[in-house]
Amino acid sequence: MTATLFPTVDRLDRPSAYYVGKNKRRKYSQDDTNIVEDPNDNLRNATTLYVGNLSFYTTEEQIHELFAKCGEIKRLVMGLDRFNKTPCGFCFVEYYTHQDALDCLKYVGGTKLDERIIRTDLDPGFEEGRQYGRGKSGGQVRDEYREEYDPGRGGYGRAYAESDQRQKEEEEYGKGR
Amino acid sequence: MADHERRHHGPPRGGQRKRRYREDDDYDRRQRRRYEEPLVVKIRRQLLTIAESAARRVEDDVVIIAKSVAENYEDEEVKHTFIDIVLSLVLEQPLKIPFVAATVLVTNSLKPELVSEVLKTTGESLQNHINAGAWREAKLILRFLGCLQCIFEGGGVFPVLEELFGRAVDLQTASSEDLIGLELVKIILFIIPYIMASPAVGFETQAASLLEKTDIIASTPHTLVDLVTPFGTENSGPTAVQSVISLMQSQLQQEANNGWELICLPRTWKDIQISEKPEEQKPWTEGTKHPFPELTVPSPVQKGSRAIFPEIYLSVYANQEFETVPPTSNIASSLLRDVLVDTINILDFNRIAAAKYLIDVDCYFAPHTFVKRATPFDKLRDIPGDHATWKPEDVAVDAVFSQLFQLPSPGHKLVYYHSVLTECCKIGPAAIAPSLGRAIRFLYRSLETIDLDLSQRFLDWFAHHLSNFGFTWKWSEWIEDLDSPAVHPRMAFINGALDKEIRLSFAQRIRGTLPDQYQDLITEEKEKDTPDFKYSLDTTPYANEGKEIMQLIRKKATDDEIEPFITAIEEQAKSLGVEDPMIPSTDALVTAICFVGSKSLSHVLSCIERNKERLLSIGPKSPIARRQIVTSVMEYWAGQPGIGINIIDKLLNYTILTPLSVVEWVLIDKLEAGATLSKAHVYEMISGTVGKVTNRLRQIVGARTQAGLYEPQLSVLDETLNRERGDMQALFKVIEDSLVSVAAGSHDELMERGDGSGNLPEDEILRQWGHRWLRVFRRKLGVEESFIVEAMASATPVGTEAPPPPSPREEHSMANAPGDGDIDVADADGPIEIS
Repeated sequence: MTATLFPTVDRLDRPSAYYVGKNKRRKYSQDDTNIVEDPNDNLRNATTLYVGNLSFYTTEEQIHELFAKCGEIKRLVMGLDRFNKTPCGFCFVEYYTHQDALDCLKYVGGTKLDERIIRTDLDPGFEEGRQYGRGKSGGQVRDEYREEYDPGRGGYGRAYAESDQRQKEEEEYGKGR
Repeated sequence: MADHERRHHGPPRGGQRKRRYREDDDYDRRQRRRYEEPLVVKIRRQLLTIAESAARRVEDDVVIIAKSVAENYEDEEVKHTFIDIVLSLVLEQPLKIPFVAATVLVTNSLKPELVSEVLKTTGESLQNHINAGAWREAKLILRFLGCLQCIFEGGGVFPVLEELFGRAVDLQTASSEDLIGLELVKIILFIIPYIMASPAVGFETQAASLLEKTDIIASTPHTLVDLVTPFGTENSGPTAVQSVISLMQSQLQQEANNGWELICLPRTWKDIQISEKPEEQKPWTEGTKHPFPELTVPSPVQKGSRAIFPEIYLSVYANQEFETVPPTSNIASSLLRDVLVDTINILDFNRIAAAKYLIDVDCYFAPHTFVKRATPFDKLRDIPGDHATWKPEDVAVDAVFSQLFQLPSPGHKLVYYHSVLTECCKIGPAAIAPSLGRAIRFLYRSLETIDLDLSQRFLDWFAHHLSNFGFTWKWSEWIEDLDSPAVHPRMAFINGALDKEIRLSFAQRIRGTLPDQYQDLITEEKEKDTPDFKYSLDTTPYANEGKEIMQLIRKKATDDEIEPFITAIEEQAKSLGVEDPMIPSTDALVTAICFVGSKSLSHVLSCIERNKERLLSIGPKSPIARRQIVTSVMEYWAGQPGIGINIIDKLLNYTILTPLSVVEWVLIDKLEAGATLSKAHVYEMISGTVGKVTNRLRQIVGARTQAGLYEPQLSVLDETLNRERGDMQALFKVIEDSLVSVAAGSHDELMERGDGSGNLPEDEILRQWGHRWLRVFRRKLGVEESFIVEAMASATPVGTEAPPPPSPREEHSMANAPGDGDIDVADADGPIEIS
């Protein structure tokens, strides 16, 4: 009933720009299919959220404790490092209802869990395989090349940390001068 | 180089643009700066941000906007944008209504045709909201029209208010329990002051006569007021509570006697001059008059989708050394609260915006209503006697708390109100944190008398809030309460809050935030990720079998492999004369599952899943063994009961446990003379279990009352509803009976304590816990029963047959109609939802 023609402020329960952008790109890359699809269509009844920027040490129980404030949780899938099978800083939370998922975007997304601001995004639904990091070394892509130290997410980016390559490169750079 | 230069002058070439040099970028940007904001965008921005800035005079902005829309009346886009945003602001940002109305008033003096169109759209919207029973929206639109009273012919808004009052009288006469009538009276009362603060003159008599009429309805206490009182009625709480409408009624009468001063309301129109030579003309507010939009108020009026209960005025800043919020003797208390509460509840889709408007509250009321933002409490002492000492932060935060502590339940999930307070704190930590601190102290001092459900909400908010701000709290100020017995409400709060904090974090982290005196409360058990497996000790009875079962569960063995060890325990128990041999065997099985699954919730869930059949078979064979499941889980997780109740919750979904078994476990097996009632996690477990039952019943009622349902589905659903309603009542009966005995001090265990006199200092505390629990569960039952009765009033009666089959074409569409009765609620034995 409150929905007015011009919302006077933005809504927080919309899919993120990241999601919309990603799905748009996919649409245009397929030249054959000319069906114009709204990228938000498959989110119309979504009950799942992608949750990001978790600490590697945050447990299922902590996530449950916070996210259950928006409704009963049907399933919680921890994001794991593809090789080590250890938590790598994201998860999927599935609710029973679409409304609970929207409420979670509005009330929990952008607040703190385990003293980190977490990110939530509406998700079309978990599929087997999506629980693993897609980064080169097994974790999330964003943890490969991070230049800042983040103690909750394995320190520096793994691409640098792993073989001390960063340090080597820096030294070589110095020599060249 | 030549190549480089060519790019400067050549036309941009598609794909190459990306690879431009930096200079190109700067060059382009200079060009873009010449862009000028289109008029429609400018008007939209100005209107949307009206009154937001303390640095600008709102009177100037009002005139600027009105002039530009009036001058561009021919521009359709400008016109429609203006009309739409006016209405959207009225419905979404009620704090701005007086300023939006002032803009429309000025527009009327410049371009009355435009205002006719505004009124037309507004009238249509009002009609739609009235038809749908959306009373909050109707109130806001009527308030907007009330601010425009001076441009209407005849009585303006008053005849509509009179008509609404007529409907309220009809409803109240028909039933003394009616609540919609009260809602209508509330609307009337919260519109009158805005009319009286508008430029309209000569309506004092009409206002007074309307007030005289509303008095009888507004001042009579409603039968349900006791139900929603935040403080126990027996020990009258620190704050006297009054229903919102009775309070408003008396405040308005006082205003009527004082010539409608209404000091806090903004009167933007007073300082507006349009003509250069004001002496020459009649006042600008006396422009063209319009007929009031035509309205039909249905009789009886519709009840909307929001549940209505009487509302109570609650302030967490009552009885302080200085008044930081308006006292209930001042109409500002009601006016500020009403519009802030609406703002909070409407803007749930953007908590950050909600928090911003709350923090900016002082922009939307008359100047000098508040002290300067962030004035420290101690500095209020220096403020001269005739100046207001109201802190905008306190007024804003108070409004959020009034919703967080609304009984029986607020308009949105509790976590929404947590998030608004978090955002307020983020916007102005230095200003808001001390206000929250005083609120926390007030609530902490009220713990003994506040409704139990509310003290649980307080605890939940407190822990969640701290988790967003580094878990910092001045625990030192509660040190002296650590000497009180564990069942004391304050001690129970401290223990409960620490437990909740740990659940959102971890024990060691929380330990680090506490003074020395609190260290003993964080026991070693709480720090253990994997609690010990009691069967590892050979002294534990059935140690060998317990260990074997654990190894088998860890190896994901089949039930056939586990079976012999279960039998072995039961045979040993029988030979030892144990009354129910299934108790020790169940204990070993469930404890082993908890231990093997201790790594995480998913681990324990997959252990349960693998042994589901055996677990499911326990209950039907022995109800006592079923309760042993609860015992084993809660004992294994004694140090971290949060994990335990989570597992219990999942076991309920699997129907391995029944709601009744959980309730009996707490209120019969583990009552501990009532001491168990003081534990926050026990309350959480029981209210969660009862919540499952009532939610399911609401789903069944939803299925039963859907439109277009016919036999035989009607009878099937009706039977399910009646059966489950009976089960629910039986569950509440068990709760009632057990609590009554604790409250009366007649419980056996209570009588056996100490010297049996029931006069130990703790005995009185235990009886109080009994009373507080009783109040909560009686209210829950009352709310559910009235929900069912109300919903069923409009349900299709049993026995209604489907109308004769329609023609084949129509039949196709019928198959997709919502009311085909194909809803899987008739299967009462199946789990509601299995995770």
